[in-house]
Amino acid sequence: MKPFEYSKAENTTSAIKLAGNSSMYISGGTNLIDLMKKHIHEPDKLIDLTDAVSSEITVQENGIRIGAMVRNSTLAEDSLILDKFPLLSRAILKGASPQIRNMASTGGNLLQRTRCPYFYDTALPCNKRIPGSGCGALEGNNRMSAVIGYSNSCVAVHPSDMCVALVALDTKVEILKPDGNTEMINFEDFHRLPGDNPQKDNNLPDGAIITAIEIQNNSFNKNYDYLKLRERESYAFALISVAAALELSGNLIREARLASGGVAHKPWRWKDAENFLKGENATEENFKKAAELAIEKIAPLEDNKFKTEMLKGAIQQSFMNCVTNR
Amino acid sequence: MDYFFEKEVENNARGRVEAEEKVTGKAKYSAEYDIPELAHAVMVGSTIAAGRILNIDIANAKEAPGVIDILTHNNRPTVPGIATEEAWKKSRFSLPVFHTDKIYYNEQPIAMVIAETLEDATYAASLVTADYEESEFETNFKEERDSVETIETKEEKGSRENWQNADHIIEREFKIAMEVHNPMEPHATIADWKNGELTLYDKSQNVYGVQGNIAKLFDISENNIRVISEFVGGGFGSGLLVWPNTVVAIMASQHLNRPVKVVLTRPQMFTSVGHRPESWQRFKIGADKSGKFLGCYHQAKHATSSHTGHTDNITGLTWKHYHFPNIKTEQEEIPLNIPKPTWMRGPGDASGAFAIESIVDELCEKLDMDPVEVRLMNLSETDSQGKPWSTNYLNECLKIGAEKIGWNKNRKSKPGELKEGEWNIGYGMAVGFWNAGRQDADASIEMKPNGDIIVRSAMTDIGTGTGTAMQNMAHNFLGIPKNKIAIELGDSDLPYAPSQGGSWGLSSLSGGVAAACKSLKTKLVDLAYGSKFEKGKGNLKLVKLNSDGISMEDDSLEPVSYKSIFDKNNLGVLNVKASSSPREEAKKYGFCSSAAHYVKLKVNKLTGDIKILEMVSVADGGKIINDQAAANQVIGAAIGGIGMALMEKQDIDHNHGRLIGNDLAGYHFPCNADAPIIDVSFIDKPDYNRNPAGAKGLGEVGIIGCAAAITNAIYNATGKRMRDLPVTPDKILMA
Amino acid sequence: MKTEASNTYSRRFFIKSSSAFTTLAFIPNSVKSFFYQVKEKFFVKKQKIPLSVSINNKEYRLDVDTRTTLLDLLRENIGLTGTKKGCDHGQCGACTVHIDGERRLSCLTLTAMIPGKEITTIEGLAKDGKLHPMQEAFIENDGFQCGYCTPGQIMSAVACVQEGHTGSTEEIKEFMSGNLCRCAAYNGITRAIQKVAP
Repeated sequence: MKPFEYSKAENTTSAIKLAGNSSMYISGGTNLIDLMKKHIHEPDKLIDLTDAVSSEITVQENGIRIGAMVRNSTLAEDSLILDKFPLLSRAILKGASPQIRNMASTGGNLLQRTRCPYFYDTALPCNKRIPGSGCGALEGNNRMSAVIGYSNSCVAVHPSDMCVALVALDTKVEILKPDGNTEMINFEDFHRLPGDNPQKDNNLPDGAIITAIEIQNNSFNKNYDYLKLRERESYAFALISVAAALELSGNLIREARLASGGVAHKPWRWKDAENFLKGENATEENFKKAAELAIEKIAPLEDNKFKTEMLKGAIQQSFMNCVTNR
Repeated sequence: MDYFFEKEVENNARGRVEAEEKVTGKAKYSAEYDIPELAHAVMVGSTIAAGRILNIDIANAKEAPGVIDILTHNNRPTVPGIATEEAWKKSRFSLPVFHTDKIYYNEQPIAMVIAETLEDATYAASLVTADYEESEFETNFKEERDSVETIETKEEKGSRENWQNADHIIEREFKIAMEVHNPMEPHATIADWKNGELTLYDKSQNVYGVQGNIAKLFDISENNIRVISEFVGGGFGSGLLVWPNTVVAIMASQHLNRPVKVVLTRPQMFTSVGHRPESWQRFKIGADKSGKFLGCYHQAKHATSSHTGHTDNITGLTWKHYHFPNIKTEQEEIPLNIPKPTWMRGPGDASGAFAIESIVDELCEKLDMDPVEVRLMNLSETDSQGKPWSTNYLNECLKIGAEKIGWNKNRKSKPGELKEGEWNIGYGMAVGFWNAGRQDADASIEMKPNGDIIVRSAMTDIGTGTGTAMQNMAHNFLGIPKNKIAIELGDSDLPYAPSQGGSWGLSSLSGGVAAACKSLKTKLVDLAYGSKFEKGKGNLKLVKLNSDGISMEDDSLEPVSYKSIFDKNNLGVLNVKASSSPREEAKKYGFCSSAAHYVKLKVNKLTGDIKILEMVSVADGGKIINDQAAANQVIGAAIGGIGMALMEKQDIDHNHGRLIGNDLAGYHFPCNADAPIIDVSFIDKPDYNRNPAGAKGLGEVGIIGCAAAITNAIYNATGKRMRDLPVTPDKILMA
Repeated sequence: MKTEASNTYSRRFFIKSSSAFTTLAFIPNSVKSFFYQVKEKFFVKKQKIPLSVSINNKEYRLDVDTRTTLLDLLRENIGLTGTKKGCDHGQCGACTVHIDGERRLSCLTLTAMIPGKEITTIEGLAKDGKLHPMQEAFIENDGFQCGYCTPGQIMSAVACVQEGHTGSTEEIKEFMSGNLCRCAAYNGITRAIQKVAP
């Protein structure tokens, strides 16, 4: 690591004051320390947010507010979350390892960077790491890369499991901007597609801090599933993942949610499939149709053509799991 | 030998001899010795795959905090064994590290930063840059593979014409990805060269090998080199050779006159200490209607490094466990701009077994016969030279394993017949086979007046339980209770031992320990009884050593306490040392260890997801010296087999000729959740022709054949033949 | 903590370079950004901060490099080498320790961030010379081979039991999957935990 100054912020206001040109905020550190060791991030100054940002989970009128410092494991095992948004818990527990979940924060999870191997190796080209250096994965090994929403500049995917559940659950992200104003961002708009400037993963303004996320009450706590496919049973990033949830009335689907990880630069919502299922019956045939609708627009790369077939199967399986609650 | 390992091992309630050190964190691995004035070194690798270094810029790095010096090919001390091209070729060392401006592969060490702290060294290493003249490189095995013809590995047996009209002939191709050993402990060296004496704390499976090689490379006497590898955090073959990290640590210590520590980063573990090379095989098999094998033609190619060779004997197994009246085997290596491959657990045979054991399964389906039955009727009764097996219980392994997993009861012979929702369930099996080797080995014993003994050998313990086995053997040979037997190992100051590899460690060492025990008994008998003891009737067997003294089982002589023996002879301690070699008689036999692997798994037809449900391994490793450690070996190897079958692969970006994702997030080997509780059992019958303990090696047979057992089960579940390892879920879906 | 050599920039270099930077105001932005890049690389000063940390109920007063991870502090600075480095990037679990009773990875923890917290390493698990029941269970069930991942496995296993993730073999295996074992002594590890679990 490059030498850096360290200071601990007492609150968000002082954190923003401490921030400077080449400073970075740190909370759980599970990704940032890793990136600093790889010399991918070389801040001159680290500002420790662990005491500055809320680590409370609180009930609100229309939902639940989760402080950005709530650790992943706390969130996954919280009784309110298990009761109201068990899909979120399921997704978190499919990510990383118990040790990492004990460290990683809610806000940090949103900000974790891609695990594309080209991003991680400073001897290889990567537009996300060094704009203009090229995308190594595009013409190289792109087995783990995106199948939708990518550009010629970048085919990286967002690595989070938690965020896939959050995007499916219509979450809002509360941020504090350097000017002291607070803003709520729809989760779907928080992360961005790479376009021509893949160095930016999201729409968080420079120097801003994620302070909390809010999930509105919904009825997706009975029929839900998070299915993750990877090269080993645990402690591995997704080839693809599927968050599925149904609000059922008998066999009738009142509302459906469907999102995926491992497919795009951001956690991806499959709205066409959701809209199709709304008002239909929960049958294998309809799940298959929904899966086919979802994969219609994807455009796999050389090494990840399998993702089409895998997504189709996983979406069907995941909706079937919603119904049987497996 | 006039006495054998016949008695039962006393219950080993407290586990391994070194267990407490390992569970309390007291065990010291190579990087953990506290040496005053220790400097930290970090290697810098090349960023091109082939070419020449024009200039290395170390100016920025030298200005970084804490940097002591930076070694490159411009300023390193000269190592005679790699100083010239000629010397290098002669020394056969893997790389003329820092003695050339040539780049043979990506991440080849080009510089090393030595600094006061690890943080300083690591940061400064990131500031070293180089200008290169790049040349064309080749890293793509698949593309290069066809450009080279295979050549005969040994003289053809019979003729291919003899079976060209066989009732059943199948020919298939098989592929296996590059795999990396990745022991949990990164390779590390502390080199301390002071006053002409070199001490190396080195992660190695072979302390004498390191000593000998370093002596030659640096042109110094072996007597001035001490190599310590007391605790070794796994190896699987990566610690059998001396690698550049050891050599550069010595160079740095010599250069700075200070102890220097080099620890490989995990990514460097993929480029510095070997790997199992990517391979291709074509296997053609012929059989008659009854299922008798008539012949085979086995071809194999594997990748190797362009700067130095390596051969995996992939077609070796083809000559061993089945009887083929006609055999032809051919191999060739494909040199590429990649790091040097080396032997990895079950080298050659693990790769070869995937082809043989897969194609036999396919043949059985064609024959409409049971795969266990077909194997039983084709097992060879002699080794490849026609010598009878000393012991070979593979047939029993096959039968016991089949019984345990319910092969006849639960398995359906037609694929896809067992279902559970979207999951298809399948059963598969295959066998593993390995030469039960043995090498020369010495051992010594030191006895104290209270009867405590220390048994010593330079053999390392890479997790196999060497020390515990030494204690068990000494206890059985002598009778002295285990709590009075201490063990010292992993140090070149101790009696000679070969490398711990090729599953011959225990087999070799048992000879040394037996010989030392015999020397101790002889010496004690002589001191205690002198001429009263009748020699020449093999009655050393009657001599019993217990906790306090010596006695005769037939009470023909009075018991004598150790104390009185030591007092009478005015001895402080008693030392004996003995050597051992395989017996002459052993030349009459073939030796083998073997195993049968059975697998039950399920495959999701929508997602390609595979879950191993049950795994049964039954092994013949001769007499089992330590049940728990032996089972642990086979469990570990079987799970290694799961890795090989389902997930292990190292990718290369061929545009840049560089490994990608070479860390433990990118390269997957099994985690706890990947494996069920593995069911392991042993035949546990001794082979005294092999060694006095009757034990045969177990380290390799556990993995050999495992991958095929799994892919055969996948076929049984899905009807899809998977011939390209690893079988990741995408391959199932796209098949 | 060992004393370290003071920062060793060449003074000559410092003067030469700083004079170069004083002229920055007069040159175009593109060149300026190049100089800033150069500056970032060269003008680094090791940052040390004084702090006090509690490890195995022992207070250590340290002057620590801000870059020093808890793992490197333990292994390279205070001689507690029981905690292992397998990957240094949160990909193997060998460096697992307890921080305020929770299992965490010391390789991804900055020492600067731990004052006020209680750290327990494998060396602090045995109490009054008596092994922790999990250590005993690992010995009895042969829950290791080479032993290198073992301290991390044991620290993780103790936490796994405390968290209550021992309901079934599958649950144990899932919640122990953050600790890789290349020897794959997973049978023994799982059985050791079953032995200790309520």
